Amino acid sequence: MFFLKLASAQDGNKKIISVNFQQAKIEQFVSELESKTGYHFYYNPTQFDSLKVTVQATEKPLETVLNMAFTNTDFHYTITQQQVFLTKGRRVIPELASGLFNTQPADAAKQTNIVADYTDEKEKKAVEATTENKLYEIGIKTNNIKSGTANLAGYVRNVKSGEGLIGASIYNPDTKIGIATDQFGYYSLTLPRGRQTLIIKGLGMRDTKRKIVLYSDGKLNIEMQEQVTSLKEVQISAEKVANVRSVEMGVNKLDIKSIKQIPTAFGEADVLRVVLTLPGVQSVGEATTGFNVRGGSADQNLILLNDATIYNPSHFFGFFSAFNPDIVKNIELYKSTIPEKYGGRLSSVLDVTDREGNKKIFTGSAGIGLLTSRLNVEGPIIKDKTSFIFGARTSYSDWLLQLLPEAYKHSSASFYDINFDISHQIDDKNNIYITTYISNDKFRLNSDTAYGYSNKNGNIKWKHNFSNKLYSVFTVGIDDYQYSIASTANPVDAYKVNFSVKQTNFKADFNYYLNTKNTLNFGLSSIYYTLNPGDDEPNGSKSLVAPDAVPVEQALESALYLGDKYDVTPDLSISAGIRYSLYNYLGPQTVDHYAPNLPKEPVNVVDSITYKKNQVINTYHGPEIRLSARYNLNEDLSIKAAYNTLRQYIHLLSNTTAISPTDTYKLSDPNIKPQFGQQVSLGIYKNAKANTIETSVEVYYKKIDDYLDYKSGATLLLNQHIEQAVINTQGKAYGVEFLIRKTAGKLNGWASYTYSRTFLKQDDPNAGELINSGNFYPANYDKPHDFNFTGNYRFSHRFSVSLDMTYSTGRPITLPIAKYEYDGSERVYYSDRNAYRIPDYFRTDFSMNIEGNHRVHQLTHNSWTIGVYNLTGRANAYSTFFTEQGGAINGYKLSIFARPIPFVNYNIRF
Amino acid sequence: MKNISFLICAVLIGAMGCKVPYTPKISAVNSNILVVEGVINTGNDSTVIKLSRTVTLTTTSSVKPEVNAVVTVESSQGVVYTLNDLGNGNYSAGVLNLDNTQQYHLRIKTQDGAQYLSDFETVKNTPPIDSIGYTIQANGLQVYANTHDPNNATRYYRWDYAETWQFHAKYESDYVSDGTKIVARQPANQVYTCFSNNYSSTIVLGSSAALKQDVIYQQPLTQVVSTSEKLENRYSILVKQYALTKDEFDFWTNLKKNTEQLGGIFDPQPSNINGNIHCTTNPKTPVIGWIAVTNVQEKRVFIDNSKLPSAWVTSYPYDCSTDSNLFCREEQGQCLNDVLQNLIPLNSDIIPLTTIIVAPSPAVVGYTGSSVECSDCTIRGTTVQPAFWR
Repeated sequence: MFFLKLASAQDGNKKIISVNFQQAKIEQFVSELESKTGYHFYYNPTQFDSLKVTVQATEKPLETVLNMAFTNTDFHYTITQQQVFLTKGRRVIPELASGLFNTQPADAAKQTNIVADYTDEKEKKAVEATTENKLYEIGIKTNNIKSGTANLAGYVRNVKSGEGLIGASIYNPDTKIGIATDQFGYYSLTLPRGRQTLIIKGLGMRDTKRKIVLYSDGKLNIEMQEQVTSLKEVQISAEKVANVRSVEMGVNKLDIKSIKQIPTAFGEADVLRVVLTLPGVQSVGEATTGFNVRGGSADQNLILLNDATIYNPSHFFGFFSAFNPDIVKNIELYKSTIPEKYGGRLSSVLDVTDREGNKKIFTGSAGIGLLTSRLNVEGPIIKDKTSFIFGARTSYSDWLLQLLPEAYKHSSASFYDINFDISHQIDDKNNIYITTYISNDKFRLNSDTAYGYSNKNGNIKWKHNFSNKLYSVFTVGIDDYQYSIASTANPVDAYKVNFSVKQTNFKADFNYYLNTKNTLNFGLSSIYYTLNPGDDEPNGSKSLVAPDAVPVEQALESALYLGDKYDVTPDLSISAGIRYSLYNYLGPQTVDHYAPNLPKEPVNVVDSITYKKNQVINTYHGPEIRLSARYNLNEDLSIKAAYNTLRQYIHLLSNTTAISPTDTYKLSDPNIKPQFGQQVSLGIYKNAKANTIETSVEVYYKKIDDYLDYKSGATLLLNQHIEQAVINTQGKAYGVEFLIRKTAGKLNGWASYTYSRTFLKQDDPNAGELINSGNFYPANYDKPHDFNFTGNYRFSHRFSVSLDMTYSTGRPITLPIAKYEYDGSERVYYSDRNAYRIPDYFRTDFSMNIEGNHRVHQLTHNSWTIGVYNLTGRANAYSTFFTEQGGAINGYKLSIFARPIPFVNYNIRF
Repeated sequence: MKNISFLICAVLIGAMGCKVPYTPKISAVNSNILVVEGVINTGNDSTVIKLSRTVTLTTTSSVKPEVNAVVTVESSQGVVYTLNDLGNGNYSAGVLNLDNTQQYHLRIKTQDGAQYLSDFETVKNTPPIDSIGYTIQANGLQVYANTHDPNNATRYYRWDYAETWQFHAKYESDYVSDGTKIVARQPANQVYTCFSNNYSSTIVLGSSAALKQDVIYQQPLTQVVSTSEKLENRYSILVKQYALTKDEFDFWTNLKKNTEQLGGIFDPQPSNINGNIHCTTNPKTPVIGWIAVTNVQEKRVFIDNSKLPSAWVTSYPYDCSTDSNLFCREEQGQCLNDVLQNLIPLNSDIIPLTTIIVAPSPAVVGYTGSSVECSDCTIRGTTVQPAFWR
């Protein structure tokens, strides 16, 4: 082994230093040498991560120290001027690469030669670009760079875990060409050949840039560092403009870090609770399942966890969300522009994405709270290729129930959920992702009625890259949601009611980066539903309950879609998509047909037809339009407009204010039409203060047809003729949403104000009954004024405080307006539906996040979250009700969180 | 479901803080809707129809009788039976001897000129009550009914009931004031043992529609807590059973949901109560009520205290103590007459119980006395034994 040194370098490098390294890692080694010599070291940390240096030297030149360190290793060094290059396997030859002077000024030459020989034999492989100051050569190197464009594609990954980053933006400032990574962290970009700079930004990641020389089509994988929040003002460059520049509107994206800053009642980060702080999102009350987006009902939200449909996204009837905060990477809520690949729900898509397991090292975390605990473990199965992530949560609330008065003491409640995901890289072109999820809830009230529900989801995704520009994702999966209610209190009446909805999905999604101006999405999807609307069976040998079952329903929902994102000019972009959905209601089934233009009642049944297995009973189909456009007025100001139509074929049957765990679903059939929704929206987006402050105003108007409402006193569960109990209503909603968000600095967070109205109308005289005489009436979740503030102030790396404030108009209720006596008791007569409102809602939460020390080399890192939910102790009305007691009518208000509720949570990472 | 939210609330902040009284601000407009209550009785009992109007929530009395109306029962063949106006909104006819194969409805002409008509209903036969029983539970008595229909034709049931019980005052009074002196109390004037009664105020519904046979087993009717005076001596309950059609059952279910268990976030939304009565003069006028056509079955049972657990002790509803009332109570050298002062006045709220004698002298020096609440049961009941009592 020998070292070749430049004469010039030798002369100028007589730095004399003293060092003492014992098993030092390269970072330590380099940083000490850098500080002692003032030279800058260039090296690839991943190549040196196996190196441990033990060197003791007193008053020796740098060369001698480096010789001692690298003797008998495959590592080399080169010293030029004030720079030291450490390499593995080959030496850097400090000659200038030919051809570079064609496009580059001379002063860049010194840097460009550094890795000149590095990639010449790897043209087919993706370049792993880890450092900002290197110049990466892409494609087949030629002496003269051709004119024209070439394609660059690859993954943007987290350097620590190797996980792909979603929605990271890659931007070329010279040409103003940019793109965001997809759900896998993949990007594909067409750029002019030659030397280019790319600026890369990701949510929660430190901004970085890469310098490249683009010779021909090639791949570049980019690794990013996690953002370490600094006390100093974070430097934000002018390109952090996602909200202004993207064509999409009505999209909110949050990473788990922002989610974790928001205080919750039980101290555990809660994904759904955070969604409620976003403009345009409301719920009928705190701690309820489901949320309402822009005047849509709760079942009009498509909730996806890694592309699996979650039918019940909460535990404990809405007190916890079903998503494990240690596994979730980020969430995206689409309120207006719904990408054409999604369909089947009218109002929104909430896309929750799990992290990929760490591909480099084994790591994990655990958290302990008063009611729940959680554990997460992840790591490589094959290093840099295959990884897994496992997360589990469980509750242990029964000890608390024991403290209750006799009437509630014999209750029990528990839940758990488990996530297990595997991702595997077969080769450069093929990746496999397996995700699974199980949640389970059990609740027994006073050893009488037992409720249970569970989600089970699993899917396999295969991602295949045909070329730099075209890739596909094939997904197959099964989603299963079921619940049961059982009672054994009276042996003769003992029953068990079961409900389930199962869907088998297949999807093929294609992404084609046609050219600089056009990105195409196309694909097809198919969902096969099997829905058991409910069966009632005897529970125990003494039970006289006659088995009763509403026949199982089957349907196939398919769709084809095509979308194009077209950059007309750098300032004008259009995203135009069409989705054609086709729905078949399938046998075996017996369907009643009713006389036209008459109420759907038993007397009006004209025919009852039985269909055979897989026979198509009826078909609904139609196009769905997804259109949006953006125009930049200047660098940080843009306007956007969008028009969307959607169709929904599965309906939640619920006549309660909130989603109750006993609500069932119904598939569209000859008697129940699919719901149809249209939305038009307009928005203006402005960034300020170097893009650290984002502001937006969006207005929307929405129309919903054939939304289901119910006749008075309708029984929905175990109803063999549900079409006789439902009525079709029309809905309209409009509103304006203001959002201001600060994304960086010691103080960050957002404030939003929404003015919105939502009305329903039932004026079909054939439905048998008119609600409020056929006039528009406010929906249950019509809350005109809604204000949210969510802020976090970071005092130091280890201590931050969060404050959360919510105000909204009280939701509408139907109140008693008169009383009378009937059957020995005073009774009440109700107003028109939703003619009154409950008191306004206001709540403030506060939390402190205390991190343990930040030393890197310790076994575990721990943190505490301490806070108070409902700081002001305001007794917000969760619900109001009127009961007859001893012959008199009394009104009551139920407030669940009527006092300040302190919480504490302990988290540990390992 | 309301229980669930309440439970979680109780866990969080303690049961007391969860449920607080709530009085919403609502408009004071009087809706003045006609309320019709009753059954066209096809059995061997009278038909009683009660008419009233709704009042605003803030009105003290919840009953506003509809007087001077003309109420008739009409058969599908046009036979008309007129009900007598008993006053106070009650209209009645004796046993009507109706034909089970006919349909009947009710016609009401109110004094404001409006006409109301109930839908024609077929006679729905009520099967007899098989038995009324009870189970002993930790904190009291659960009274239930059993019934069945061998023809499997009834399926839907409703019950109401009247409870009657014998109870005692805390102390027995042997003496009474005649206005000038204390005299021995005659048995006819005793105020120690009384009877009281109570009518059901919740809607009790049952259905065997989900069962293979038309059997109602241990349908809960009412709960009597173990410390209640109702169980002190002897308790009786008269249960009336009504067969319902499916539509009528839905009406009652809806009424129950709307007035007894409503407003929780998991409870159904309040909805319009659609009875089977309509205003013919103005179809938009709402009417509350359901007029059914059935025979009513009834059964009475008695439950003696001796059959109940001996550990069950009645708690008297008032704090009680006795005090001495002397003809001469010395105070600061003076002689005060407590008997004259406290017991003699006819409107006094202190009742003489027993004589006070200072042995060996047989002379009466005064009487023990106690409050009306503790020694006179008639303030809460009647001493007249009901005819059915045995």
